[in-house]
Amino acid sequence: MTREPLWFEGREVPVLEGDTVASALFRAGVRTFSRSLKTHRRRGLYCGTGECPNCTVTVDGVPGVRSCVTPATGGMRVRRDRGWPSAEHDLLHAADFLHPLMPVGFLTKTFIRPRFAWPVAERMIRRTTGSGPLPVDAPITRTVSRHVRCDAVVVGAGTAGLSATLEAATGGERVTLCDLFPIGSRVPPGPTLDAILELEPIARANPNIEILEDHAALGLFEGPTVPLAGPAELVEVHPQHVVVATGATELHPLFPGNDLPGVWLGRAASAMAALHGVPVGRRVVVVASTVEGMEHLHALVAAGTSVIAAIVPAAFVDEVPRQTEAIVDGELIEAHGRGRVRSVLVREGGERRRIACDTLVLSMGLAPRDELARMAVGEPVDVVGDAALEVDEPRLGGGYLCLCEDVAVHDLEQAWAEGFRSVEILKRYTTAAMGPCRGAMCARALACFARDRADVADVRAGVRTTSRPPVRPVALETLAASVHEVIEKRTGLHDVHVAAGATLEWSGGWKRPLTYGDQREEYLAVRERVGLMDVGTLGRFLIAGRDAMRLADAVFPGRIDDLAPSRSRYVLALDEAGYVADDGLLCALDDGSYLLTSTSGGAERMEARLREWADRLDLHVHLLDRTSELGAILVAGPRVRDLLHGLTDEPIEPATLSYPGHREIVVAGIPCRAIRNGFVGELAFELHHPRSRGPELWGALLRAGEAFQVSAFGLDALEVLRLEKGHVYLGQDTLPDDTPDKLGLGWAVEMTKPWFVGKPSLERLARLPRTRRLAGLEFDHAPADAAELRGVPLTVGDSIVGRVTSSASSPVLDRAIGLGWIRSGDEGFPTELRAGSTVGRVVPTPFYDPEGARVRG
Amino acid sequence: MTLQVPCPNCGSRPHSEFTFGGEERPHVPRDTDTGLPRVLVPENAEGPQRERWFHAFGCRTWFTVTRDTRTNRIG
Amino acid sequence: MAELRTSSPPVTSVLASTDACERVAGLPGACRIGPTEVAIVGDVSTAAVLQAVRRLDPDAVVLDVSDGWVAHTLEGSGAREALSRMTELELPVSGFVQGEVARIGVRMLVDGDRIDLLAPSMHADHLRDRIRADCAELLR
Repeated sequence: MTREPLWFEGREVPVLEGDTVASALFRAGVRTFSRSLKTHRRRGLYCGTGECPNCTVTVDGVPGVRSCVTPATGGMRVRRDRGWPSAEHDLLHAADFLHPLMPVGFLTKTFIRPRFAWPVAERMIRRTTGSGPLPVDAPITRTVSRHVRCDAVVVGAGTAGLSATLEAATGGERVTLCDLFPIGSRVPPGPTLDAILELEPIARANPNIEILEDHAALGLFEGPTVPLAGPAELVEVHPQHVVVATGATELHPLFPGNDLPGVWLGRAASAMAALHGVPVGRRVVVVASTVEGMEHLHALVAAGTSVIAAIVPAAFVDEVPRQTEAIVDGELIEAHGRGRVRSVLVREGGERRRIACDTLVLSMGLAPRDELARMAVGEPVDVVGDAALEVDEPRLGGGYLCLCEDVAVHDLEQAWAEGFRSVEILKRYTTAAMGPCRGAMCARALACFARDRADVADVRAGVRTTSRPPVRPVALETLAASVHEVIEKRTGLHDVHVAAGATLEWSGGWKRPLTYGDQREEYLAVRERVGLMDVGTLGRFLIAGRDAMRLADAVFPGRIDDLAPSRSRYVLALDEAGYVADDGLLCALDDGSYLLTSTSGGAERMEARLREWADRLDLHVHLLDRTSELGAILVAGPRVRDLLHGLTDEPIEPATLSYPGHREIVVAGIPCRAIRNGFVGELAFELHHPRSRGPELWGALLRAGEAFQVSAFGLDALEVLRLEKGHVYLGQDTLPDDTPDKLGLGWAVEMTKPWFVGKPSLERLARLPRTRRLAGLEFDHAPADAAELRGVPLTVGDSIVGRVTSSASSPVLDRAIGLGWIRSGDEGFPTELRAGSTVGRVVPTPFYDPEGARVRG
Repeated sequence: MTLQVPCPNCGSRPHSEFTFGGEERPHVPRDTDTGLPRVLVPENAEGPQRERWFHAFGCRTWFTVTRDTRTNRIG
Repeated sequence: MAELRTSSPPVTSVLASTDACERVAGLPGACRIGPTEVAIVGDVSTAAVLQAVRRLDPDAVVLDVSDGWVAHTLEGSGAREALSRMTELELPVSGFVQGEVARIGVRMLVDGDRIDLLAPSMHADHLRDRIRADCAELLR
């Protein structure tokens, strides 16, 4: 059956049943699959299990794809990652010849000075050593995450993993079994595959076993939790215990020439010849030190490969096929060739001998994949199968130790000579074991290198570096599964604002209207007539119970015991260090309880604070967060009462609802609590009402206000309105260590109270001179939009004495005003200063209506 | 990824459901000179530490646990 | 597959001493939020509840807070799988559980393959959008 071909650098490559991208390309004659990171040496297929970096190509625009384990599908567009002008003919390979002149750390050491040239050097370095451009145009796909709770998670579905899974399931456990690939798909025909095929159907038939193929375990976290990265999902598994059955990778031997194309590990070669039916070479030399190695030798020969020589231990000599010369107890010294293997040098019985060949296949040991197990700190983890093997120390010949990062053994020797003398330091300096294989192929050798050279007394110098997640490279998109947007809180009027064309912006976790079109008109409406604002974002809390007053008295530094029903009071919330954490309005209700309002952004912290002090002081209180339940609309401006008279019969006159007070009234048939409020500097009422009736109330207010040219106003107008009164925005005008007096809010503190949160600190601080305060500022020759002054440092002469925290051009005052913190000098606090080229003066606040007559009316 | 915190009302839950309240410390020093540092300066002990947690996404109550700051084990 | 429905059920908050809460904790729809808090989901006489708890706690507070909560109901064979995409919590076969779902605090009433997710009104849209986005192919 003809299958659709794939495209490789402009040419068609046939795809046969069961092909991986690597096998299809290899069959078509591709021998150089990539170029090494720094020196651009040719690299060919090597490990066959998706661990080394050699076969990495770009598929359909996505770089970093391991072609040896990626199934080939028709229509794929494949190209190699590195090399200029092409991977086949790479001029940057010149780097390899210059390698002796480019020791470890060369790039950074050479180009770090002069500093001005570094950006250019960095771009050049990235281009020559990078792994290919990121697919910035690729469509963003959504990865979903899900949680799985089970008794056991088994990582790896080979014979050991399947056995462990069946044993656990038979014992009644719910088991999640995962594997990087479809079960058995990467195992060539032989006894291992037979064993797997026997166990697989039993596992699939068991309802207590969930099998997740094509899922990579990323790490082992506290819980324990094992996250698995699947094709389009991130699965967080929460087991009671973990079984690691990840097997072992074949040893990556170290000898000169070990990275030449034509050098294969046994699994890769036997898979290519036996699974995919592609001959690996015409004159093949095999080094088989293990039982598995002998299996690979037999598989190669059975597939028709011409294996001219096999280096085997004496114990295996009888199993060497007749056509193959057995070199007993021989030693591989080096592989030789330019651009590919052309001969190997072996030692046989004391004699050195060169054998001409085009392919070298190595099965010289195993490196257990125990990274997951090494992450455990007391979590219940069992390691089974090959992953639990004890293996000999790798022999340190020459050649390339870290294929991913292109680090040769002599680079390590140079680093050691420079003084980097422990495995952790060596790793960071040379970048060995920091590449995509995550140390799977080279971490043991690196540790051996350090151990061989370190002092015997230095126990830690040669311990394998810390195993860290992710165990396999993982796309950021997968880690971001199900994390898409910040949580958006909404008031009941959200749709109304959207319909009115408001510009919405993030503020304190809510989406709030900045303006409905004309910020200046909105401002003028409030100053001259009447305006409406959605303040449903304010925190609202019920404080009730017999100790309600004691709690308020403890948490807020001001006088509370004289707050009578239907009166309100501005309150600060301090932390134990005496610093201002939040503010709000406390309203005393008829039955001895209180309604507290707090800033929109501080609501959650305020409730936690109230509950904490109720608990610490063992007070009998009932607390309820009413923020979601109640909407709130601020109606502000000199014509407010005129507007409300059309909607309510209730008393709202200066005598019946005075400032600062509150009462329950019915507006447009909707029950509200009206709270007098002075934030914007005009006569104003906050109408707190049931959330579900918000749109109705808003609509009624707008209609009744038409006669007075009412306007809805947003945060932009609010910024100027409140600034003209010198009112502070916590977080914008305040610093984390602002005590009340630094903010001019000392009047909200009653130091004669026996105790309140923060009092001991304030007493102590009161003995120190005050060296910083928030001040009102007026500017001359300010920019047309005085808001540009925000953040500008305040200077006296050459010294910086503060910073502008808020600024705006005030229409009603026809001046540029602002707030800023200033530091005192030898002669006290400065009064004349500069903000850039603008001249500034410290003036008292409020700027507008200092007596507050408009608010108190 | 998931440090489990034992809420006395709701049982063991992932730490992301909680707000961490820091070390448990006294709050009412009679003598500000000697007592204040105990309020403001944490012990920051290596080993078992009594600390405050708030179950923000659950029952919204505060409680105290002992956690070993070396091993992260609670209780 | 699962069906998603949104509704505004009646919710009554009871804040009272531990003993007083015990008296109402067995009412239909009653959820023990904490030692001193019970939420009753569904129709109930506020006055009757107030009377019952005030006997043991004269300061007890009983409030209709229906405006503060929105219920998103997932019902069907895919309901539990949908939840597994938004929370780490293990759901009981039936009963009340509260905890983190889609990164907010949610109260859940579980009954077989019907799960009522009660979210504070200010978070209702966020939860609905998350359910629709993460469970798209599970929803009818």
